[in-house]
Amino acid sequence: MKKIAKLKLTPWMAWVGLLVTVIAAGVAAGLMVFVKGLSLTNLTDMVPWGLWITIDLSSIAISAGAFSLCAAVYLLGLKRYQPLARTATFIGLIGYTMALLTLLMDIGRPDRFWHAVVYWNRHSLLWEVTMCVTLYLAVLALEAMPIFAQFEWLRTRLPRLAARMERVHHYAPYLAIVGLGLSMLHQSSLGAVYGVLKSRPLWYRPDISILFIVSAVAGGMALTVFASMLSARITRRANIDDGLLERVAYFIGWILVGYLYFRFWDALSMTYTYEPGRTEGLRMLTSGPFAFNFWIGEMLLGAVVPILLLLRRRTRQVPFWRMLALLLVVGGVVAYRWDTNLSGQLIVLSYLPGEPAVAYTHYVPSLIEFASGAGVVAYGLLAFSLGVRYLGVVNHEAAAEEHFEEMPAREALPAPTGD
Amino acid sequence: MSETNLNRRDFLKLAGVSVAAIGGLQIYRRAEASSGGPEGEHQWAMVVDQSRCTGCDYCTLACRAHNDINPEISWNQVIETGAISGKQVYLARPCMHCEHAPCVDVCPVQASTYRPDGIVQMDYDRCIGCRYCEVACPYGARSFNWEAFTGRNPAVPQWGQPEVARRPRGVVEKCSFCSQRIDRGLALGLTPGIDPDATPACVVRCPTGARIFGDLKDPESNVSQLLRGHASFRLREDLGTRPRVYYLPPNGSPEA
Repeated sequence: MKKIAKLKLTPWMAWVGLLVTVIAAGVAAGLMVFVKGLSLTNLTDMVPWGLWITIDLSSIAISAGAFSLCAAVYLLGLKRYQPLARTATFIGLIGYTMALLTLLMDIGRPDRFWHAVVYWNRHSLLWEVTMCVTLYLAVLALEAMPIFAQFEWLRTRLPRLAARMERVHHYAPYLAIVGLGLSMLHQSSLGAVYGVLKSRPLWYRPDISILFIVSAVAGGMALTVFASMLSARITRRANIDDGLLERVAYFIGWILVGYLYFRFWDALSMTYTYEPGRTEGLRMLTSGPFAFNFWIGEMLLGAVVPILLLLRRRTRQVPFWRMLALLLVVGGVVAYRWDTNLSGQLIVLSYLPGEPAVAYTHYVPSLIEFASGAGVVAYGLLAFSLGVRYLGVVNHEAAAEEHFEEMPAREALPAPTGD
Repeated sequence: MSETNLNRRDFLKLAGVSVAAIGGLQIYRRAEASSGGPEGEHQWAMVVDQSRCTGCDYCTLACRAHNDINPEISWNQVIETGAISGKQVYLARPCMHCEHAPCVDVCPVQASTYRPDGIVQMDYDRCIGCRYCEVACPYGARSFNWEAFTGRNPAVPQWGQPEVARRPRGVVEKCSFCSQRIDRGLALGLTPGIDPDATPACVVRCPTGARIFGDLKDPESNVSQLLRGHASFRLREDLGTRPRVYYLPPNGSPEA
């Protein structure tokens, strides 16, 4: 009794304990999948891609803050945003590892995960995505080196290694270029994975790739700003420059306007002629089982409300409203990925002659899918929490890393305005 | 500072050289046909005569036995498609072995490839089980091994003996036009479509002769002659997949 009384439960410990519990349940579920196979899921030959694919797509999408903010800092020269790019890079590293963990469960032969790197099929969008994600993960790991060099334990035990890791930031501008290229490719081709399939009329259109990358940039930046603000409210180990975050939030509002514009024309162009499968799919989204997700989740809460909250100065300046808006943006991106992935599969087009009939199938994830998915999300939250606590990933007061002076091309860059 | 510059340059050089090397290797290695165009010596095709099909499902069972398929999975499906003047019509659906196969395009690891004779072939040792091909196939011709197929095959021995290895859990599988029978038959000097030992099991087992198999490259083959003499159609021709399975409609066939 006395021992238990002595062990003081701090909020930090409670939080970590909760996450570790969820992770443990997720690991158990994941191990069951490895041992027993995908029959534990509710996936079928009709709907082979479900909750896990949504987690893959979403975690990659909301990692897009890394490439966009790194490009802003190192390529556009907006170096004030460097501390935010640092946070985004860390989130990106977490997001991509989340996607890989989920993917490892989702493929039938996880022991062959490396095949795409060795056996190239250059016609396959999924091959291209796999290669880009693999390479970009390497870029993110390099970009995150200076962050890991902040680890106190490493600095005292292995100071030379820490210094070496710190020095990787000299390559930041080059890494930003490579990261931008790779992300532009795979963030959009994740949409094209769906968009090139002629047998799925609801997907078969070029716009998905554009919508995917635009929504990813909005969602990725939103998550970065939201996570920074939340950390600063919870712990003294995180400190933020609120003016900086407010400007990014304002920018996110405008990206959302662009996103909504693209989505409007995308949806409108699909409504004019009857096309078997596509028309039914649209109906399913707008008035069928997806209607709530579509109108409330994606449109109203995912785009319209955040646009209003973020573009109006009065609401944007209030941390609560801004954080709410940013969280809604992230939710909207996830809802969009879920709806896109499922709507195309739930509509089954007949191949029988003279029968343009459309059948509907259905899918609800199994408990195992939910548990392992929750484990992956909890891993992401834990990794970020540890980053805030031990690596200072949200720290806007730290001296900006000094690589601008060393950039040979510095003179060629246009002078950042407002500096 | 100059030191970092040099390092940077070296780093970029090294990165450039390695990327070029890997890319070059891949292009060098690339020998597979990029489309299932008619370049091979043979072009295998199947004709399904709907007026003869009685929906007995013998083809499906023979297929399960010869290819040792999980009873949960059908490489071949016989589907009821309604009735014409009171007579039930069936449509048997194997893999279409498309000339422009979406599955071959989308597979990230080239586990689905074109053989020179037009057969769309699966490499079960390469498949990673991502199921993109399942999502892409317009004909629902692909099945995933959700669980391992262990135990005895209920279709054996009544419907035939297994001729290929069972697929492991976690890979996608589909009809192969019984390529093992074709290859072995050709090696023995037999003619696929004529000699039963060189012909797909479903064709051999069909009690009404509703399935005909042969070489489109040979103008005198049974499939070439049938397609010359009768109206035929293929499934979802609008997609441009150019399937190698042709159907003789119920009312346009020789017996009708």
